[in-house]
Amino acid sequence: MAQHLTEQDVRRMAAYTRIGLADDEVPQMTVELNAIIDGLEPITEYDLEGVEPTFHPIGDLSNVMRTDAEVPGFSQDEALMNAAVREGGSFRIPRILGGGDA
Amino acid sequence: MRAVSEVLCDWEAVIGLEVHCALTTLQTKMFCGCKLEFGAPPNTHTCPVCLGLPGALPVPNKAAIESIVLAGLATNCDIMRRSLFYRKGYLYPDMPKGFQITQGPVAFCMNGFLDLHVDGPGAEERPDPPDAPQADGGYVARIGIERIHLEEDAGKMIHVGGDGGRIAGATHSLVDYNRAGTPLIELVTRPDLRTPEEARLFLQKLRRVFVALGISDCSMEKGSLRADGNISLRRRGSDGLGVKTELKNINSFKHLHDGLAYEICRQAAVLESGGTIRQETRHWDPVSKHTIVMRVKETADDYRMFPDPDLAPYDLSDEFVARVRAKLPELPDQKAKRFMADYGLPDADARILATRVGLTGFFEAGMAIAGDSVRMFAKPLANLLVNDVPAAVGTDESFDLAASPLTPARAIELVRLLVDGSISSRQGKEVLAAVLRDDEDPAVIVAARGMAQVSDIAVIESVVDAVLAANAGQVARYRDGKRGLIGYFVGQCMKATDGRGNPRLINEVLARKLDEQPPAHPAS
Amino acid sequence: MEFGCRDIASIQAGLRARRFSAVELAESVLARVHAQDVRLHAFLEVTDELALRAAGRVDSAIVAGAFDELGPLAGVPIAYKDNMNLAGTHTTCASRMLENYVSPYTATCVKRTLDVGAIPIGKLNMDEFAFGSSTETSAFGVTRNPWELDRVPGGSSGGSAAAVAAGMVPVALGSDTGGSVRQPACFCGVVGVKPTYGVVSRYGVVAFGSSLDQVGPFARTVRDAALALNALSGRDPLDCTSQECTLDFTANLAQGVAGMRVGVVPAFLEAEGLSAEVKAKVEEAAEQLSRLGATIVEVELPNAKAAMSAYYVLGPCEAFSNLSRFDGLRYGYQDAGHDDLGGQYEASRAVGFGPETRRRIMLGSYLLSSGVYETYYYPAQQVRTLITQDYVTAFEACDCILGPVSPTAAWRFGERSDPRSMYLSDMFTVSINIAGNGGMSVPVGVGAHTGLPVGVQLVAPAFRDANMLRVAAALETVYGPAPTAPGFASERAGD
Repeated sequence: MAQHLTEQDVRRMAAYTRIGLADDEVPQMTVELNAIIDGLEPITEYDLEGVEPTFHPIGDLSNVMRTDAEVPGFSQDEALMNAAVREGGSFRIPRILGGGDA
Repeated sequence: MRAVSEVLCDWEAVIGLEVHCALTTLQTKMFCGCKLEFGAPPNTHTCPVCLGLPGALPVPNKAAIESIVLAGLATNCDIMRRSLFYRKGYLYPDMPKGFQITQGPVAFCMNGFLDLHVDGPGAEERPDPPDAPQADGGYVARIGIERIHLEEDAGKMIHVGGDGGRIAGATHSLVDYNRAGTPLIELVTRPDLRTPEEARLFLQKLRRVFVALGISDCSMEKGSLRADGNISLRRRGSDGLGVKTELKNINSFKHLHDGLAYEICRQAAVLESGGTIRQETRHWDPVSKHTIVMRVKETADDYRMFPDPDLAPYDLSDEFVARVRAKLPELPDQKAKRFMADYGLPDADARILATRVGLTGFFEAGMAIAGDSVRMFAKPLANLLVNDVPAAVGTDESFDLAASPLTPARAIELVRLLVDGSISSRQGKEVLAAVLRDDEDPAVIVAARGMAQVSDIAVIESVVDAVLAANAGQVARYRDGKRGLIGYFVGQCMKATDGRGNPRLINEVLARKLDEQPPAHPAS
Repeated sequence: MEFGCRDIASIQAGLRARRFSAVELAESVLARVHAQDVRLHAFLEVTDELALRAAGRVDSAIVAGAFDELGPLAGVPIAYKDNMNLAGTHTTCASRMLENYVSPYTATCVKRTLDVGAIPIGKLNMDEFAFGSSTETSAFGVTRNPWELDRVPGGSSGGSAAAVAAGMVPVALGSDTGGSVRQPACFCGVVGVKPTYGVVSRYGVVAFGSSLDQVGPFARTVRDAALALNALSGRDPLDCTSQECTLDFTANLAQGVAGMRVGVVPAFLEAEGLSAEVKAKVEEAAEQLSRLGATIVEVELPNAKAAMSAYYVLGPCEAFSNLSRFDGLRYGYQDAGHDDLGGQYEASRAVGFGPETRRRIMLGSYLLSSGVYETYYYPAQQVRTLITQDYVTAFEACDCILGPVSPTAAWRFGERSDPRSMYLSDMFTVSINIAGNGGMSVPVGVGAHTGLPVGVQLVAPAFRDANMLRVAAALETVYGPAPTAPGFASERAGD
């Protein structure tokens, strides 16, 4: 089985996808992902020179748009009804460490 | 640190801008029918789509596509018929789906440009203007536009408990998704800008174009126009590219200029002392007048971009583009050219009147009233709007011409009184002040104050004769060469007419009579 | 006969003749679900109140003489896979992540059934976020196959198939991303249809693979499935990928197959892993169709082999992106006790998502990362072009393709723990999702070896789903409508 991903890669992926993986979960996840990626190899063996990709299985459908007209949406309570924590009319979230762009 | 113009003699600055503009004049969001409204109570304009509820799907707003095509046509871009929306991965609380819908390698608009006319003191920032100097000492620079693409805005976060609403030190944050899904266009320039002044002028010009197109209110205060600046330096004469820094979220023209000027000087100082520039995002703090590091970029961001399978591809027809093109209004540059050609205005006046948002409509309304006299009235009206009104208003920043008592009809009436010599230009200023203060028509003010100018040649001649007769000594001295006395005679004539004498006529008659041979003295 | 075992026509005839009221019907169905589902666990939520209210409206229409104006599903009990939003119900996707999420809106497919008079009985179990082929990844426990309770019902729409097979509801909705309607229909011996991509709106159906997902009905008869499609199909302004569709799917069910060309793919019948009993059933079905007047022709799908890899690239990529929204802030599981957002995110997603879901998210994030995108994702979309073209070419020679659904009949719980061997069970179904064509499973009796139900797959040209329904109706004349699973069949004959 080819080593597509190292444990370090898997840790980085976990960080990127914001899935907290425990240290003892990393080796198994690495093995499983490598096995799955092995199964994808046929895709790399096709001669696809000059073949256009099909991003949408919808034939010639294009330019689907709506008119710029208001449609009633949620009330504030409906918007917040599934919120874990709300404060006033807003969703409340814990402090953000490590900055970010905001 | 040295002045930026000095630094730029040794270094060449390579500046590119990324400008975000919210399409605030639309009714609804980019991908759902929620109302666009600034300042509404939090989370009162949301639906499954813009809250990113599981199962919701986006449907693009046709008017947003029309808006970006307008923007592209107005900035000389190629309108790309075939393009796709992509998903840009971004896990952050203000992005409800965990990705932003934006465009991929092909945007709706590609390869455009705007020409900048750089003049005044700002032109001196650039030691190597790109073309022959213009009549006014300025220069013209063509700034390439790489692309304009369409995307959706994020929600808004309020950081609570920290210093001045900043994220650092906050105890928690509040999220409002009213703004989430607002249609945004992002314009990316080529790195063709060379001075902070050019960057500032570019952003100003772009704002005028977008406002003229009616696609946005372009309010920097409300955040509907925002700019990021990328900047790097290279030694004059070299054509490599240095490491760049990015100035994020600039919300005024002055901050853009000052932030870039600071970065140029900072980078030059670092490089001159043998240091290296790190690729980082910085923030301009207008209070301390410094840029502050926000984030160091060690590796390129990886946004996991791929075509959004929920959205059908675009294949815009020629007909669609033609329909949008038909909606293209006259743009400021075209307007200025027309003002010069049709009204005989000088270049400088034409550019000001065509580009200052509040003045253009007023001037054109005035010209519409002027009828056959447009060529005669254009320049005096320009003087009134460009010089006299600002002088009359002074430092009152709340002044809004459109809401003021000076209507285009009153302005033209005032111009007519000036042109036909009914009042002097000094009186004109007085009338203007009175119009603004008392909300009266100029003719009413002139009549009430008995200001109508005396232009009857017979009256003027008799006044001049009387003044010359009463000042025989001065007349003699004048004729001996004391030509400066002309002002004295004019003053006396004005005094004799209670200030209503037509100064042009008084000057003419005085000159004629003074230069005549004195009547022969009785033999003595 | 229990109501859930009847077909739509007999339910509607009974209502029309006032042999029973819609409320009596609903009460009976609910009672049966409450009594029987303890053995199966097909339902995650039973919507008694909504059902009775909807039934009350049907009764009012009957009283007002307006029953026939309600539409094709008037008075028909129906249940929905739990990835379909129905306002006021939980929509869990069988995930801890959405255990407490209450839908504030209704999916178009659900709404369309309710608009034509269907009676909503409840929400059905599934693999977590539809990631699986056995309904074993449900966070709330497995659903059992009504034919043999120690076997899987298939997946991911296992609850939907089991509920129909056990005679609890005549119609259920599922979603099919790589076989998730057809394979459980096959395992449970009922009709399951995945229409052409775009026939049914996806709005309000929690997305797994947005370019692959399609909603379809489970039913006991081909006609009932076609009636459900009549209600479901058509352009939805809320889904850009939905398309105009004014077909009456029942129109040519009775026409027979005389003169039709039915394609078989020899390579499929020689495929490694295909069980003898399934192969025998496919060949038998071909013979039956031939006997009924169809011409059997051989067609090739030369790139079908690549479909598996393309599917296992595209599915996780789209899933990774679709599941990025689950951050526990606006809705969904939020792990308590974190005072910073990053820690809360990571714990919420680690606890909220099950192992298969986490694996697919991580895989998708890897496959889309820069430098890797060009190796897998982009070629997978190129392969999609080839596969689509294969079908276009094949359908020049035939009107419908016949083949296996699953290589084997239903397996026992725990028999396939290796994710890869489970993935192989999708080998005959995924290429249709890649190309977008319609496909369905129609029951053809039980396997000679296992005695378990076996279905065959019929595939139609894009937007000509009526072709496969016509062939399926012909097979139904041979094999009969789907039987109720033996342990759930009512002792009483007739009511």
